[in-house]
Amino acid sequence: MSMNSEEPSPSARRSSLSLPSNVHLGLSVVLAAAAQVFLKLGAVAIGEAGFQTLTSGWVWAGIAALIGSLVSWLYCLRSMPLVRAFNLAAATHALVPAACWLFLGETISWHRGVGILFVLAGVAVSAEPASKLEKNL
Amino acid sequence: MTAFTWFLVVLTEISSLGGQLLFKRAMGEQWENARAKAWCTLAGGAALMTVGFFVWLSLLARFELSFLYPFDGLSRLALLGAAAVILHERISFRLLTGALLIAVGVAFVATS
Repeated sequence: MSMNSEEPSPSARRSSLSLPSNVHLGLSVVLAAAAQVFLKLGAVAIGEAGFQTLTSGWVWAGIAALIGSLVSWLYCLRSMPLVRAFNLAAATHALVPAACWLFLGETISWHRGVGILFVLAGVAVSAEPASKLEKNL
Repeated sequence: MTAFTWFLVVLTEISSLGGQLLFKRAMGEQWENARAKAWCTLAGGAALMTVGFFVWLSLLARFELSFLYPFDGLSRLALLGAAAVILHERISFRLLTGALLIAVGVAFVATS
């Protein structure tokens, strides 16, 4: 199933030296999870869909977090293949339910907990080659 | 969930998937060799993401986040195929296993 090489370009390697792509990815994941919680708070506070939600400060905080997450994500993509980055970013799927439980009072059933463990296992399986890739940069 | 809600879920996922592909294309070779073209590709990706964002926002107003969010995870299997075919990325056995584990986990969460 292999196709082309996933080696980053020389300039991408240079840029990734200032901040490792894994750090950009971690920032992106945390900000994305925070954004979802902020957007949910805003959507609930306004109670309506569409542009009305833009009157909420929570929604703007969510948008700011999303922009920060996007910038980190783009830096990460300069030196990391999309599939690998996307797999590692699945950590958001564990982080968001945890944040929902912690900040929104939503419940996490054992069934949902098992799902989160599967997601974390998938992230761990995908993460090892990424750490090797960082060592090579 | 009504058929229209399913349509909105699919629309937001396809928008996000297309946006990711355009972002990666822009930040790869285009960024090195054709900066102006890369900015256009980034703008296209941002436009698709914006559509997905507002559809997502309307879904958030109607459903719990912890119920809705797992649908986002299902798009990663589609992205795996799209990245291999369109971006010519190498899909190793380890990455495929990781993606499948995540998809199973997302399915668990979605049916909880």
